[in-house]
Amino acid sequence: MKRIVWMALLAAAVAVLAALPWIGNSVLVQFGINVLLLATLAQGWNIIGGYAGYPSFGNSVFYGLGAYGVAIAMAQYQLPFWVGMLLGLTLGVAFAALLGLAVLRLKGHYFAICTLGLALVMTAIVSNLEIAGSNIGLVLPLHRGEVLFYELALGLLVLATLSVFWLSRSRFGLGLIAIRENEEGAAVLGVNTTLYKILAFVLSAAFTALAGGIYAYYITFIDPAGAFDIVLNVKMIIMAVFGGPGTVLGPVVGAFILSAISEVLATKVTSIASMFFGIVIVIAVVFMPRGIAHLVANIRRTGWRYFAENVRTHRL
Amino acid sequence: MYRFLFLLASLLLSGAAWAQPVTFGASIQLTGPVANTGRYYKDAYDFAVEKINAAGGITIGSARHPIALRILDNQSDVNLSVRQYAQLLSQDKVNFLLGPFASNFVLADSSIAEKVRVPMVQGGGASDQIYSRGYRYIFGTLPAASNYFGSTIEAMAKLNPKPERVALLYADDAFDVSVAKGTRALLQKAGLRLVIDERYSTNASDFSALLSRIKSGNADAVLVAGHETEILNFIRQAKSLNVSPKLYSFTVGVPSADFRHALGKDANGASGMTAWLPSATLKDRWFGNAEEFARAWKAKFGYEPDYHAASGVAAVQALVNAIEAAGSTDPQKVRDALAKVSFDSLYGPVAFDDKGQISLPQIMVQIQDDKVVPIYAGKDFINKLEYPLAPWSKR
Amino acid sequence: MALLLQVLVSGILLGGLYALMALGLALVWGVLNIVNLSHGALIMVGAYVTYFLVTGASIDPFAALPIAAAVLFAIGYVIQRGILNLVIRGPMFNTLLITFGIEVILTYLAQLWFSADFRTINPNYAGSNYSLGGITIPFVQVLAFAIAIALTVAMWLTLLHTRLGRGIRAAAQNLVAARLYGVNPKRIYALTFGLGAALAGVAGGLYGTVSQINPYIGGTLTAKSFVIAIIAGLDNPLWVIVGGLFLGVIESLTALYVGPTYRDVASFGILVLILIVRPSGLLGRAA
Repeated sequence: MKRIVWMALLAAAVAVLAALPWIGNSVLVQFGINVLLLATLAQGWNIIGGYAGYPSFGNSVFYGLGAYGVAIAMAQYQLPFWVGMLLGLTLGVAFAALLGLAVLRLKGHYFAICTLGLALVMTAIVSNLEIAGSNIGLVLPLHRGEVLFYELALGLLVLATLSVFWLSRSRFGLGLIAIRENEEGAAVLGVNTTLYKILAFVLSAAFTALAGGIYAYYITFIDPAGAFDIVLNVKMIIMAVFGGPGTVLGPVVGAFILSAISEVLATKVTSIASMFFGIVIVIAVVFMPRGIAHLVANIRRTGWRYFAENVRTHRL
Repeated sequence: MYRFLFLLASLLLSGAAWAQPVTFGASIQLTGPVANTGRYYKDAYDFAVEKINAAGGITIGSARHPIALRILDNQSDVNLSVRQYAQLLSQDKVNFLLGPFASNFVLADSSIAEKVRVPMVQGGGASDQIYSRGYRYIFGTLPAASNYFGSTIEAMAKLNPKPERVALLYADDAFDVSVAKGTRALLQKAGLRLVIDERYSTNASDFSALLSRIKSGNADAVLVAGHETEILNFIRQAKSLNVSPKLYSFTVGVPSADFRHALGKDANGASGMTAWLPSATLKDRWFGNAEEFARAWKAKFGYEPDYHAASGVAAVQALVNAIEAAGSTDPQKVRDALAKVSFDSLYGPVAFDDKGQISLPQIMVQIQDDKVVPIYAGKDFINKLEYPLAPWSKR
Repeated sequence: MALLLQVLVSGILLGGLYALMALGLALVWGVLNIVNLSHGALIMVGAYVTYFLVTGASIDPFAALPIAAAVLFAIGYVIQRGILNLVIRGPMFNTLLITFGIEVILTYLAQLWFSADFRTINPNYAGSNYSLGGITIPFVQVLAFAIAIALTVAMWLTLLHTRLGRGIRAAAQNLVAARLYGVNPKRIYALTFGLGAALAGVAGGLYGTVSQINPYIGGTLTAKSFVIAIIAGLDNPLWVIVGGLFLGVIESLTALYVGPTYRDVASFGILVLILIVRPSGLLGRAA
C-alpha cells in the first residue's frame, strides 16, 4: 500500500515539473534546466560511485564528450541535434568501456585521482584538436525557446532515476553493492566483478554524456574549460553524497536542495555565495556523511544524537 | 491646507517630470579569477549611470527618465552568468542589457539577449566569433581583435633599422587567436618576416622554452597576444633569462596601472596599444572630456581607469543615445537606433558597423619612465619610440 | 644544442620548485593517508603571507620564508586538529571531499581579504642571472632550487633520525601500537599536517618570486603536486625531488618539441599512465 502511495506522489511530482514551463516563469525554467541536468549528473555518478563504490572524479570527461559530440555534429557538419546526441552518447560510452578496462583496476583514492587526471588530460587534448575548435570552442546554432531543453532534461532525469530504481532491485545492482562492500568476497561468490564494474561505468557515462549534449545546445557555445569543467565533478559528487549515495532518490534530492540554496545565494546575497559550497561540504561530511537519505531514515530513531554519533565514530 | 496641496502638487509634478526609470542589467565577474578586470566594468557602469542621472537621465519625449542599474556577480562562472542574464530579463524585467568582460562570457551571454530579442551593448569582448554569428541584437564597443597590432606594425615598418625577424606568441583563447590571425596578415602586408609563430595555453606560467627559442632564433621584435598574468610572467622571465629583443609589444596590461605597479622599473620599454587615452580632445556630453573623466574616476575609485573603463562607459552612453534617438524603450526600436547611432564621447567616436562592432584604431603606446606615452596613431609618430631597447643587463 | 641545454636547465630549476610544492602533499598523504585537495590553497596562503611580509615589513623574501612557514604550520595544525581529525577514521573519500571544501573556503577568504589583483614578490635582485657556457641561469630560481633540495633532505633526515620523525612514521604504520608506545595520535597527526602546510608555505613564498599570486592559483598547483606525488610514490621524500625534476624537464621538452599547448597533456597524461600501469608510483615499491 505504502509503495503505491509513493509511486503516485512521485508521478504527480513529475507531472508538475513537466508542466512548469506553462505554470511558472522563464527564470524558473532556466533554473529548472540547470537543476535537472545537475541531478542527472549526480544520479549518473551514483551508479559508479554510490552503488559500485568507485568514486569517480572524472565524470566530467563524459559530460564533455557528450557536449562536444553535439557541438561537432551541429557546428562543423550541420547535422541535426539528435544525431549529435547519438554521437555524444557513442563517444561517452566508448570511452567508458575502453578506459574502464584500464582504470577500474585501481582502488579507492587511486581510482579517484586517476579519473581526475583523465579529466585534466581530456581538457588539454581537446584544446589542441582542430575539429573541436581547439581552445576557442565551437558556436552552435541558436534555438529559440527553452521548453525543448527543459523537457529533455526532465525526461533524461526520469530515465536515469528509473534506471537506478531498476538497478537497485536487480541482480546487477546487488552485485554492485557486493563489490562496494567487499570486492574480493564478491568475486569469490561468483560475481563477475570486472564486467559489472565496466557496465556500471558505461551506464554512468551514458547519462552523463546525454546531459552534456543537452547542455551544449542550450548554451550555444562550448569550449574545453566549460565542457570539461572540473568543478562540475565535485558538484555532482557533493550533491549525490549530500542526498545519499547508494539510494534511488538521494542524489536527486541533494541536487535540488543544494542548487536551490546556491541559486538564492547567488542572486540575493552574492558575497558569500562562492563560499557556500565549501561550508556545506565541511558540515555535511562531518555531521552527515551518509547523506540526507540516511539522516531521514535514522533521525527518528536516534534524534539529535545522530550527528554526535557520526562524529564519534569517525574522529580520531 | 494649501501648503499640503502645494506639497502634493509639487510631488506629483516632479514625479511626472521624473518618470518611470529605465533599467539596465548586467552580470559581471566581481569575484573569481578575472574579477580584477571585471571591477572596471562595474565601476564604469555605476559611474556613467550616476553622471547621466545627475544631468537629468534619459529624455524621451517630454519626460526625463532616470536609469536604474542592476548588477549581479557571476563569480567568473559562465553558466551562472547565462542564468543571471535570463533572470535579469524575465524576473527583474530590465529594459536593456550591458555586457560582461571577456569574449567567452560574451559569446554565451549574448545568445540569451538574441533569443529574447533585447539589445545588449557590451564593452568586454572583441573576438571575431562574437560578430560572425549573424546576431542582430548584440553591439560591442571593443574594436576588432584582428586589428590590435595594426598601428604597432605600421610603426615597425617605418623604423630604422626595420625589425628583420618577428616572433608572434598568442594564448589559445578566442580573442587572442583572432588577434594572431589578423596580425599575420598585417605583418605580411608590411613585409615583415615572421620567424616564430607559437600558440601557448591560457594561464601558462612558464615561458622558458619559448623565450629560449626567441633568443636562439634572434628575433628582433616580439609580439604577444595574451592575458595580464601571462604577460607579467613573460617579462619577468625574459629579464631573468636575459632575453632582450629590440622591441616587444603586448595586447593587454601595458595601459593598466596595476600592471606597471607589479613590474616596477621592469615595465619600462614595453610597448602595447590602447583604443583610448585620457586626452582632453575627446569631448563628452556628460563628463566634459576624457582627461576630466580620468581625474574624476581616480578621485572616486582610487585607481586609474583604462580602456576597459572607457569602453564600459561608452556602452552605457550608446544605449542612452539610442533610446533618445528612438524616442521609446521598445527593444526593437532601440535596436534599430543602436545600429544607426553615431556620437562623440570620452571614448572617441561611437558608431557600430553592420555586424554590431565599433571601429576604432589602436594607438601604439610605450612605457617610458613609468608613464604610458602614446607613440603612433593614424599615420604618424606622436612621440619617439625607445628603440632598439637596451639589453636587460644594461638597464 | 645550446637551445636544448638552456631548456633543460630551465626545466630542472622549475622542477626543483615543483618538488618542494609536492613535498608537503606527499608527506601528508604518505603518513596520514589524507589526500589534501586544499594543498594548493595552502601554497597560495603561504605566498600571500610572504608577500605581505615583504611589502609590509620590508623583509627580504628569503628571510620571510621561515616566518611564512611558521604561520602556515599553525594554520595547518588548526585545520587538522579542528576539522580533519573529526573525519579521519571514516571512509577516505570523506577526507577528499572535506579538503575540497576547505580549499573553497580558503580561496574565498583570500579573494575577500586580498581581492583578485595580482601580486608579485619582486626583490631587486629578481632578474639577475649568471651566464655559464652560453646558458643563462636565473639567480632566484637557483636559490629556490637549493632551498627545495635542502628542505627535502632535511625532511628525510627528520623522518629517519629524530624522535618526532620516528613518532610520525610509527603512527603512520600502526596507530594502536604507536599509542601503546606513548605517541599522542591527535598531536602527531596535527604536527604532521602542520609540517606539510609549512612546506607548502615555503613553496608559496618561492612561487611568488617567480610568478604571480592571486587567490585562484591553488587548483593548478594542487594538480601539479599530485602528478609529482604519484610519480615519486609515497615512501621516501627523496624521490619527490626526482619526481619534480622529471616533471619539470618533461614539461619543458614538450613545450620545446611538441608545442607549448601540449604541456598539460604531458603532465596529466603521465599521471594517468603511471596510475594505470604502476599505481604505487614510478619509483615506489611495487604494490
